[in-house]
Amino acid sequence: MIRPIAVLVAAAALAACGHGSTQTTTPAPSGSGQIGYVRMDELVHKHPLYDQLARYDRSIEAFDLTSTAPSVATPDPQLAAREQRLERELSDAANRTNKLLAQKQKEYQAEENRAIDAALRGAASGGPSAAQIAGALNATAKQQQSGVAAQAQRDLETYRADLDKQDRAQVAAVQKALTDRANRTYRAKADELQAKESALSLQLANDDAPERLALRTKLSSLALDDTARDDAQKQLAAIDRKESDAVAAQRNRDQQTLATLQAELHDQVQHDLDAQVAQIRKRSLGSLAQRQAALAKQVRTLGSAPLIATTAGGKVEERANPNLPPALRARIQRLHEDYQKRFQADAKSTIAGFEKTREDLSRRYAELRGVDSSARRGAQAEIAALRKKRDDLYDQITAQIGREVRLIAQQRGISVVLTDVVAPAGGVDLTPDAMKDIESLHE
Amino acid sequence: MKHHVLARGRLAALAFALGAAVLALPASGATGSNPDIGSLDQSALAALPSFQAANQQLNDYGNSLRKQYLSRAAHASQSEQQRLGQEFQSKMADKQRQLFGPLFRKAQIAIASVASSKNLSVVVDKRIVVVGGQDITSNVRDLLTGIGDPVPPVSTPPPSTVGYVDQAAIDQTPKVKAATEEFLKFKQTQDQAAAAKLKSAKTDADRDAVLRDYRKTLDDKQNATLKPVVDATRDAISQVAKSRGLILVVDKGNIIFGGTDITSDVTAKLK
Repeated sequence: MIRPIAVLVAAAALAACGHGSTQTTTPAPSGSGQIGYVRMDELVHKHPLYDQLARYDRSIEAFDLTSTAPSVATPDPQLAAREQRLERELSDAANRTNKLLAQKQKEYQAEENRAIDAALRGAASGGPSAAQIAGALNATAKQQQSGVAAQAQRDLETYRADLDKQDRAQVAAVQKALTDRANRTYRAKADELQAKESALSLQLANDDAPERLALRTKLSSLALDDTARDDAQKQLAAIDRKESDAVAAQRNRDQQTLATLQAELHDQVQHDLDAQVAQIRKRSLGSLAQRQAALAKQVRTLGSAPLIATTAGGKVEERANPNLPPALRARIQRLHEDYQKRFQADAKSTIAGFEKTREDLSRRYAELRGVDSSARRGAQAEIAALRKKRDDLYDQITAQIGREVRLIAQQRGISVVLTDVVAPAGGVDLTPDAMKDIESLHE
Repeated sequence: MKHHVLARGRLAALAFALGAAVLALPASGATGSNPDIGSLDQSALAALPSFQAANQQLNDYGNSLRKQYLSRAAHASQSEQQRLGQEFQSKMADKQRQLFGPLFRKAQIAIASVASSKNLSVVVDKRIVVVGGQDITSNVRDLLTGIGDPVPPVSTPPPSTVGYVDQAAIDQTPKVKAATEEFLKFKQTQDQAAAAKLKSAKTDADRDAVLRDYRKTLDDKQNATLKPVVDATRDAISQVAKSRGLILVVDKGNIIFGGTDITSDVTAKLK
């Protein structure tokens, strides 16, 4: 809460007190020596590398404002909802299948009871034979099979549409993640090269500082004749030109590097995207085929059921009629047991198929989330790297300003120079002189 | 002609040598009488083994407290969680005082002792020193790592021409507080608006434009809301400083030892 005004008070106080007066008149008390001060913020603003510092600041500000990297793939906000919806649909389909099977089970039981009744009546009065009973059961089963097949087909179409929708969302998310990653890589390289370029510029300025200072000192001499003055100015211009040419050459090389990197990244993104899309499609086709096979099996199983009768609640309701021929009774019992076994296996297989599909989808979404989470971690590292670069550059700038200020203080007999001063009631403001030196670095 | 070239070469060499000599001068080796201003690198003291050990102990204690809090807060009501949070914060503060209190006291004595022996009226944070001053970091470090405790100085520091204000206290004066709150409220809404715009920005140029606009809006508001208060504060500080014969005034946070506190005079003037 206190920082904004604290900083502003300091900056404004110094700005107001310093302008136009290169030296305040209040002398330092005896024995304490001369004390000077500089408005470091203003000097930093005038430094040749300030533009780059401001760029870092803007990037950091953007990160701070959005709390996350704006360039990083943001997680699909609908991801969880989509997954839930798909799971719900799959669960509904599983429930429908179970309900349908239960209904069939009930109908088969009724049919079985009627058939057994008829068989018992037939045994007593020459009624339908076991073959006739089986035929009646077959006809009923075929009718039911057709209903189950139609429902299964509808479920499959719904499932196929959902898969297709999810595939499109996944491909879009992957494409965004890959593009963003490439953009980050490119920007990181651009920043790195820019930092190196700045470092080179600073290094050259530092290397030439003594020579430049000597020439300026020479030029400030009133006794210098025109030829010598002209010569010194030419030397100064030559130093500036040499630095400028070196930086320009470096910049050209950097631009070439960036162009190459851009082409490489483009190819890389395309390659990765193709691979990811192929993987997604393969998984989807696999899931669809699996689902199709499961439903087909369900229909086929119902198709082979006619010779099976079922019981209520899994409990066989036997009518122990001693008049029933043992062979027929044994055959019905075997058919019944066989049907019950296959029916249960089929139901279990159908549900297991749904469960597997659901797990597969959950895993795929988890993988997608993994991509996002990795991207976020990358963004945090990028922010930290950006802050470090910014701080390093700021330190470089203030160190160079410090060297300039030290020379000025030396020339003016100032023994201590402070910055971050809230109010200079006296003291010597070295900012204007330092400003001139810093501005001359632009030349 | 050759003579001229040689002469010019000698001159350049001399100028170069002078420049190099100037560049090579140590920060503390400035000209003239050295004012009674000292500086201290606080990060160097924080790196001392005793401080590092205390810091490690505090971290361990903090981790253990966090575990305790999580296990107790898991089934607690919201009000109970709040109470627990306060209780654990208080424990943490007590531990911090217990661990660092003696170290800080010892460091303060060492700083005062060195300052007294060097006849310094003020010791400031090294980060605000661009040139000169007497860096007493190594002396203080030697005292803190040597055998036995440092001995407090017998004399109080001489009156200093460097003053300081407690900016936190000044920020609490009614006018400054009201202006700050108004600005921060405005900033909050601007932050949200800028964040929304940044999310929809498609290119780096779009983002730059959003940030420039955001910065300009804040600067304008700052000038309208805070500047009048800032001007009044600056005037008050300058007037008090001059009346007390001070040369410079810095923030209290940058003063490590000595200096002249003018906070109460400034806040009284601002009321």
